[in-house]
Amino acid sequence: MADFIAINPILHATLRIAPEKAEIHSRGIQLLPVVPAEFASIATQSPIVLTKNGQTGQFVTVAMLGFAPGENLWFSDESWQGAYLPLQLQRQPFFLGQSGDNGQGDYVLCIDPDSPAICQEHSTALNATQSTAMLFNENGIDSAYLQQIKGVLAELLQGEQQQQHLVQALLAANLIQPLSLEITFANQQSTRLNGLYTIDQQKLATLDAATLVQLHQAGWLAPIYTIIASAAQLYPLIARKNQQLTGAA
Amino acid sequence: MTTAQAPINSVAIKTVVIVGGGNAGWLTAGRIAAKHKTKQGGVKVILVESPTIAPIGVGEGTWPTMRSTLIALGISETDFIRHCDATFKQGAKFARWVDGSAKDFYYHPLVLPQGFGKADMAAYWHQERHKERHQKQQQAQPQASFSNSLCYQEAICEQGLAPKTIRTAEFSAVANYAYHLDSGKFGTFLQQHCTEKLGVTHILDDVIAIQSACNGDIAAVETKNHGAIAGDLFVDCTGFSSLLLGKHYQVPFKACDDILFIDTALAVQVPYDSPDAAIASHTISTAQEAGWVWDIGLQHRRGVGYVYASKYCTEEQARATLADYVGPAIDGLTVRKIPIVSGHRTRFWQNNCVAVGLSAGFLEPLEASALVLVELSAQMISEQLPAHRGLMDIVAKRFNETFLYRWDKIIDFLKLHYLLSQREEPFWRDNRDPATIPQSLLDLLQLWRYRAPGDLDFTSNNEVFPAASYQYVLYGMGFQTDFSHNEYLLDNRDFAAQQFAQNQKMISQALSMLPTNRELITKIRDYGLSAV
Repeated sequence: MADFIAINPILHATLRIAPEKAEIHSRGIQLLPVVPAEFASIATQSPIVLTKNGQTGQFVTVAMLGFAPGENLWFSDESWQGAYLPLQLQRQPFFLGQSGDNGQGDYVLCIDPDSPAICQEHSTALNATQSTAMLFNENGIDSAYLQQIKGVLAELLQGEQQQQHLVQALLAANLIQPLSLEITFANQQSTRLNGLYTIDQQKLATLDAATLVQLHQAGWLAPIYTIIASAAQLYPLIARKNQQLTGAA
Repeated sequence: MTTAQAPINSVAIKTVVIVGGGNAGWLTAGRIAAKHKTKQGGVKVILVESPTIAPIGVGEGTWPTMRSTLIALGISETDFIRHCDATFKQGAKFARWVDGSAKDFYYHPLVLPQGFGKADMAAYWHQERHKERHQKQQQAQPQASFSNSLCYQEAICEQGLAPKTIRTAEFSAVANYAYHLDSGKFGTFLQQHCTEKLGVTHILDDVIAIQSACNGDIAAVETKNHGAIAGDLFVDCTGFSSLLLGKHYQVPFKACDDILFIDTALAVQVPYDSPDAAIASHTISTAQEAGWVWDIGLQHRRGVGYVYASKYCTEEQARATLADYVGPAIDGLTVRKIPIVSGHRTRFWQNNCVAVGLSAGFLEPLEASALVLVELSAQMISEQLPAHRGLMDIVAKRFNETFLYRWDKIIDFLKLHYLLSQREEPFWRDNRDPATIPQSLLDLLQLWRYRAPGDLDFTSNNEVFPAASYQYVLYGMGFQTDFSHNEYLLDNRDFAAQQFAQNQKMISQALSMLPTNRELITKIRDYGLSAV
């Protein structure tokens, strides 16, 4: 991770951000973490699957954007090609850090100092056509742009907790199963997807009434069925890959 | 005949009484209760445990079978690792067994040799080695060992790496593995699981007498405070005292100290220098003057012990050897002396009584055979539990045949480790005396002078040590097989070359993806492994 720089109105009074360039952060991201509140939007363009965090082994819900590490088929021409921009990209180049030595303190708004979305003072003048945003107005008050970013980060923070609760509910009901997929592309090259998981539909269909009611009352049925339905986006994703393979030729 | 007195032969097996509460008792109770639905009203399982006799607590090393045992008991691997101080074990490293020098070691890993069963890889390895020997004679480079040429696990162990990652599901493996565990904690953990989850009835009381039925069966065990406890099958898990099988039934004990000389263990628990000290990912067995030292890394301490033959070494000398191995850390630690009586009962199942664990027999812990024999016994009892008394003698006969074979094979395999040593101390020289070697093993060794051990050398469909294990020990110890008579069989060199290359590839893949044993254990304590 890049350095931690906390945002403050004096230090960052003149900082300008080019929000569209924030999409560059999605370059090379195959699996993008998504939260239940945006599943319905994500499902219109990507499969939603589960994978395990490499550090903790805990399940996370992710949008599948490519077939191999480092491949994002939704990113080309330096921008995100989807109609819906996931929250994890909307928030860029900002993130919430936690203060304190052990990382358990208050949340602090931080910026990734290496982000391509940060406008260098000189280039701003040259690139007059580019739309940019300030973080603070002349009185040091949050700009509308910064307010919107803070809203996204708050939504993500809450969404990540929801996502963890959803995973716990899925595990408790034994509803997670490994996804084994072997895909052959237009160039006859085939790939086997490992380390991805999805909903076990057979188990879901035979859930006992009590568990089903629990899932319903917790509001997890909609996200569960959205994950299942999103699997159909695998076909457009394969088509995208094939287009890239054959279109380039 | 009244309805109340059905012929004894048709009495259904409805109650199993287990006497003794060590790991043998709880593993057997758990296997039977899980399989026969004790909690749901199936076979009743009662475990009577003396409140005054502490379990011996031998056996801190398991086999990979423990994974299927835990699964059968419905235990989560995360819970097991957190509660039993458990770590991952990927086989054993035998140090100083061949010539006693500092660089002398070989591995008996848990992953089969690459290409095993598809081609005679041991023969191809010999051939490669002879070629190398000619090429490298002047360069004095070390030759690739059998285990390192054909198994990627040795490299994993040498680096102290775990057999899986935090993303691997419970009980799944990147490289096959077993466990090291704290025997005492394991017993407590099993007890809690068996009583709370599996419906086993736990009675803390001393057995003071045995009531016999007219056919010689045990009708009940009398306890001090709970009266007579009746049952249809009795499992003797009373440890070395062998209360039911040995004392009551007088089933003879067959010693094997003429083959395996070790008769004493000095054990010590050694704390780590720091909480994040490296944990060895394998058992380390280091040969000594009159035996060998085991070294087992748990989460919070190591278990170290010197097993030796008292005929060749005084207790004082043995204590000095152990102190030498442990180093200054041994000052202030308690060294426990445990007698080892090598051997087993001539029958394990008599009438309606079957012995599991130390009551059945014991051997030096060279290949961690104690717990695996308990698991295999518990599995066979639970899976072949007869429907009624009339069938029990058949099951007993088959059980006895199966386990006599297994004890024999384990004794053979343990002895094999001693035969090929070039060490010159009297203990080691005497171990090589043909008079001390079972004929079955002498016969196989003759055959193996001209070909590698193969699956057909063994007759059980459920062999304790597969032919691969014999290969690891034989070729690890430097045994020479002369393949020249059958060189025409080695006609698939391309395949063999692929296997050697594949193993190298697996080594680099494993080394790049696996965390250290300590790192993984810490992560499992912090986050847990997923069931899928």
